[in-house]
Amino acid sequence: MLTGSHIEARSAKCAFFSLMLVFLIAAPGINVARAEPEQPAATEPRTADDDFSRQLSELKRTFAELSKKFEDSAQTIDRLSSAEGARKEIEELREHVSKLLAAVADNGSVWSLGTKALKRAEDKLKWLEAETRFKPEDRQFLIERWRELRAATEAAIKELDGARKDFAELLRKLQNNEDFIDELLQIREQRRALEVIHALSDGIRDASEKLKKLLSSIKTPGV
Amino acid sequence: MSLALAARTLASAALLLASCSGDEGAGYIEIKTVPASAAVVLYIDSVKLDPMRNGNALLRQRAGTAKLQANGDGTNLSVLCNVEVKKNRITTVTVSAITRQLRCQCTRTGASDSGVIRTCIG
Repeated sequence: MLTGSHIEARSAKCAFFSLMLVFLIAAPGINVARAEPEQPAATEPRTADDDFSRQLSELKRTFAELSKKFEDSAQTIDRLSSAEGARKEIEELREHVSKLLAAVADNGSVWSLGTKALKRAEDKLKWLEAETRFKPEDRQFLIERWRELRAATEAAIKELDGARKDFAELLRKLQNNEDFIDELLQIREQRRALEVIHALSDGIRDASEKLKKLLSSIKTPGV
Repeated sequence: MSLALAARTLASAALLLASCSGDEGAGYIEIKTVPASAAVVLYIDSVKLDPMRNGNALLRQRAGTAKLQANGDGTNLSVLCNVEVKKNRITTVTVSAITRQLRCQCTRTGASDSGVIRTCIG
């Protein structure tokens, strides 16, 4: 069994070797890359809105992939004849759902970007409403665009909230099913244990009979 | 070093480092407050949580035992309960704010849980 210090030591070793590997990969490229021209497109800063949109698209793609995985898993579980197999399949599914939930949890990456993007839209609207530099029609144009952005961001966040509820419910269902299978396995283990106990009893009885025979065959000296 | 190479290098580092910590795993804590409108300030270990929306929060947390704490008197943190987090699983805790004293209600508690501070396990 691994203790906390073992895990920490292993993680530290792994981190060290990973960084060494990255430096080894990167090092030969440093000199070669010096002659390459700068790529201005890569230097443009990304806003929270851009990141949110990008990550949301990636998440939607992952949803579709997971949907396929669920269909496959359901078919696999149908075909399974062993509880251990079903348990393993459920464990894998939990891992997939957990990864998705990680993005939409309150402290998850996509959720955080969403709330940041919403805050930015709200701050912009507040700022524009107090701004006097622009002509009224120009200011109104900017306000309307930011209102549209805010509404779209709110809608996306609402979708994520729905997804979060669904994933949490699914994960809960999977873990409950897995627990139930565990219980079934324990019942089977208990039966096995009873078999072992019965076998042991038979063995003891057998040993007792042999001992009796041995005792009766032993003649007391002098009798 | 070109930016593309730098980005690739950093991405590799992130992936490799992420794979190093993969063994420990993470799970989730779902916190519900009753009533949903209760404005309670909660902490997981020493990390203050954002105000909850509709009395519900779902947080990713490293596997292990975490302390759910509240800042009842405005100065000191008091432990409401311990929460056992397991890899890829959700542990649900309901914080009751019906009386002045906040209380932790677990969906499941440990079988041998007889201590003053209860431990929610799922």
